[in-house]
Amino acid sequence: MKAIWYRSSALLLLCLLGISALPAWAQSQEFPVSTRTLKNGMKVLVQPDHSIPNVALYIFYRIGSRNEHPGTTGLSHFFEHMMFNGAKKYGPGDLDKVMEANGGSNNAYTTQNVTVYQDWFPRSALSLIYDIEADRIRDLTFDPKKIASEREVVASERRLSVDNNNFGLLDEQLWASAFIAHTYQWPVVGWMSDIEHWTMDDLKHHFEMGYSPSNATMVVVGDISPDEIFQLCEKFIEPIPSHAPPPPVTTIEPEQLGERRLVVHKPVELPIVMIGYHIAQTNDPDFYALNILRSVLFQGESSRMYQRLVDKDQLALDVSSDVEPAFDPTLAIITAQPRQSVDPQACEKAIYEELDKVKGAPISDQELEKAKNGRLVEFYREMRTISGRANTVGTYEVFMGDYNKLFDAAKNYSAVTKEDVQRVVKKYFGANNRTVATLLPESEEKAKP
Amino acid sequence: MTPKRRMLRLFALFGFLLVLCPVAPAQSLRMPPHEKFVLKNGLTVLLMEKRGVPLINVFALVKTGAAADPAGQEGLASITAGLLRKGTKSRSAQQFSADFDYIGGSFGADAGADFTNIGAEFLTKDLARGLELFSDAVLHPTFPRNETDKILAQSLDGVKSAKDEPQAVLGLYYGGYLYGSHPYGRPSDGDELSLRRIQRDGVVKFYEANYAPGNTILGIAGEFDAAEMRKKLEETMGVWTARAVANTSISAVPPAKGKRLLLVDKPDATQTYFTIGNIGTAVNDPDRVAIRVVNTIFGGRFTSELNEALRVESGYTYGARSFFDSRKAPGPFEIVSFTKNETTTPAIDLALQVLEKLHKNGVTAEQLASAKSYIKGQFPPTIETSSQLVRRIVVDEYYGLGDDEVNQLEARVDAVTPAIAKQVIDKHFPLDNLVFVLIGKASAIEPAVKKYADKIDQRRISDPGFWPPLAGSQK
Repeated sequence: MKAIWYRSSALLLLCLLGISALPAWAQSQEFPVSTRTLKNGMKVLVQPDHSIPNVALYIFYRIGSRNEHPGTTGLSHFFEHMMFNGAKKYGPGDLDKVMEANGGSNNAYTTQNVTVYQDWFPRSALSLIYDIEADRIRDLTFDPKKIASEREVVASERRLSVDNNNFGLLDEQLWASAFIAHTYQWPVVGWMSDIEHWTMDDLKHHFEMGYSPSNATMVVVGDISPDEIFQLCEKFIEPIPSHAPPPPVTTIEPEQLGERRLVVHKPVELPIVMIGYHIAQTNDPDFYALNILRSVLFQGESSRMYQRLVDKDQLALDVSSDVEPAFDPTLAIITAQPRQSVDPQACEKAIYEELDKVKGAPISDQELEKAKNGRLVEFYREMRTISGRANTVGTYEVFMGDYNKLFDAAKNYSAVTKEDVQRVVKKYFGANNRTVATLLPESEEKAKP
Repeated sequence: MTPKRRMLRLFALFGFLLVLCPVAPAQSLRMPPHEKFVLKNGLTVLLMEKRGVPLINVFALVKTGAAADPAGQEGLASITAGLLRKGTKSRSAQQFSADFDYIGGSFGADAGADFTNIGAEFLTKDLARGLELFSDAVLHPTFPRNETDKILAQSLDGVKSAKDEPQAVLGLYYGGYLYGSHPYGRPSDGDELSLRRIQRDGVVKFYEANYAPGNTILGIAGEFDAAEMRKKLEETMGVWTARAVANTSISAVPPAKGKRLLLVDKPDATQTYFTIGNIGTAVNDPDRVAIRVVNTIFGGRFTSELNEALRVESGYTYGARSFFDSRKAPGPFEIVSFTKNETTTPAIDLALQVLEKLHKNGVTAEQLASAKSYIKGQFPPTIETSSQLVRRIVVDEYYGLGDDEVNQLEARVDAVTPAIAKQVIDKHFPLDNLVFVLIGKASAIEPAVKKYADKIDQRRISDPGFWPPLAGSQK
């Protein structure tokens, strides 16, 4: 979750659902998606749903902090903010004012991999939304005054979510240590000194690099028909010329050959432990077995880690795992908050022991079944709103390469065996492959000799 | 994950959409049909069939919440709710979790100020199992001693963990400082002092005194057959023994007079988190729709006056907003934002100027039209899923509000005029009487923020509790 940065926090509720979990949708006939690729290369996916008179429109650009360079880290996220700050027809501030006056709202988020723009609106605003989106994709402007004030907004966002948020702070340090070569090593929001120093030229270059229509996928779900969406796309989006996509990210993170450890000291009440393991990218066949493994270990109060750390040994207040969709090999992160006066290393030891148990003996049939059931309910939970569906369809299309993988998910999850789960835990969750980040109360450290 | 949960709680306060004045019905937006009946034991039941995804949502509301916690034992209602799943007559805590998790379902219970809520979600195919588990937790909890000790110790550490994140606790300090010894001033999850005083006997007594069919409203929404559901409910929730429950009432508090400020010192903070406000409105206030329209303009959306001034124009903050947390008795009104230490007073000054401007200028016809479109356009996704709908019908039933809250919304929003808006501003938005709560680095901001109030109070974030200094001093 730390790897996702939103333009505005009040709408966070709509977007929290775990896009890392892509379970089963059995009845494909209930879920027709129409597609078209525009002449400029943008692919459009449409799914009508008339249960409410509203529309969710998501545009996924395949550009994120992994496309950045030292000195301008955080530029993708900052650029995401600038996409709301004025184009040719809708000047600074107009986009939000016009959209809200017509019953719509918006947000956007940036990750290491993608930048996603989200519009939610009554169907009466449909053609207006296309006018607005086309305007900013085609003719974004850069007002120096807006750049200056937006720089402060993003600095405040960083203070909120990293500098004054211990989980955010430790997460940032973990990625920075786990990756020594690949661009996943820097934070999506950017280092503070980079936030303070990027220039107008950096922004213009970023726009030219990442915002070609051919580098984007549009998903529309709601009270619409595919034909009307394709007509609007022909009118507003198709005339926008395409250009070269961002240069490929060619760096491959070298294999980690030994445990890495780091410590952060702060005046805090409770410590935090985060353990990151290098795992495969989202479109790897191991994706499904990894998700089943994470369910067995972390999902629900009957999960192995909860039972051991929170319930039985009472070592931790909470224990969870997190994986974000990723184009390149990424991290599975385990987070635990030790209880008052519990040594964080006791939490670590219990986590390793639970991982070793799965390596030593296969999980039970019951656990496997439970994990699959959990994934199914989670999936329905995402699919029951038009915004959840727009996000899920887009995520499959962008990260799996084809939204049709959605219809294979049920099959792929039921194909996972106990042996698969054991294989992935052995493959990825070894000591040499982990980075351990610990946040310690300052006073404890000072008390040491 | 812990921080996610806190964020949800913090941002889940946009309040209810509540309406009264009778106007012609709007055609476009209707509450889906649902039925209401009362079981022989006195349990009120609301059922809504909703097709789409094969999920069922159950939501029970016990009409007693954290406001009924005995003074000094803040958190009792929440602890009681949290223990429902931690052991029943036929299941251990571990067995209950194993059974619920096996069907992929979820179960949660918590107490807010006005009521306790118990929710569950499962697949339609698991209806019998899900309903049996749900009623087992509600009807037959045993409150095992070891589980009670465990949850109390965990909650205590939960308070400490929350205090590591200013955003997670700002509202608790504000509630305590604004309401003082009134029940709405109590932290619903307890604090470092009160959680040490709660005993198992008190939990059992609280359960016996308040959990009864006549004191509960049960809602179920999703893919099911209503006639079949009714039969299943009689077999499960219908066997709950009726018993008398003392009525809980809550007194209204008049708004605070004058200006006072609480500064909570967090020495490592690089940003000041602040709330400004006063006592707001009750959930059934006749002005509730007009208040919502005006607050949308003032601090309830991205282009609100507050966010425009503090974020868009000045860059002081990532976000500024305001909301009425309406309850049975008048709940808090809050202006909330944060800014780096150096711009603490410029940001607060600006927030106050925006408030003054609202009183001086009222709202324009253009702003009104925009806010009305915004509310109407954004409303349908709030009644999209069975989990949203079940909560809404049950909570509206509890507060004595009907389907017109949804069915008449558009008409009632449209009926708000600039003159009505002006009346609402004068009556409900504070101006001269203000309560401030700031969490920040006191050594950096204390001298400058003293100008906001005659009465200044201070405490350290590491001091136990939220307000007053000693929970034991409450009468």
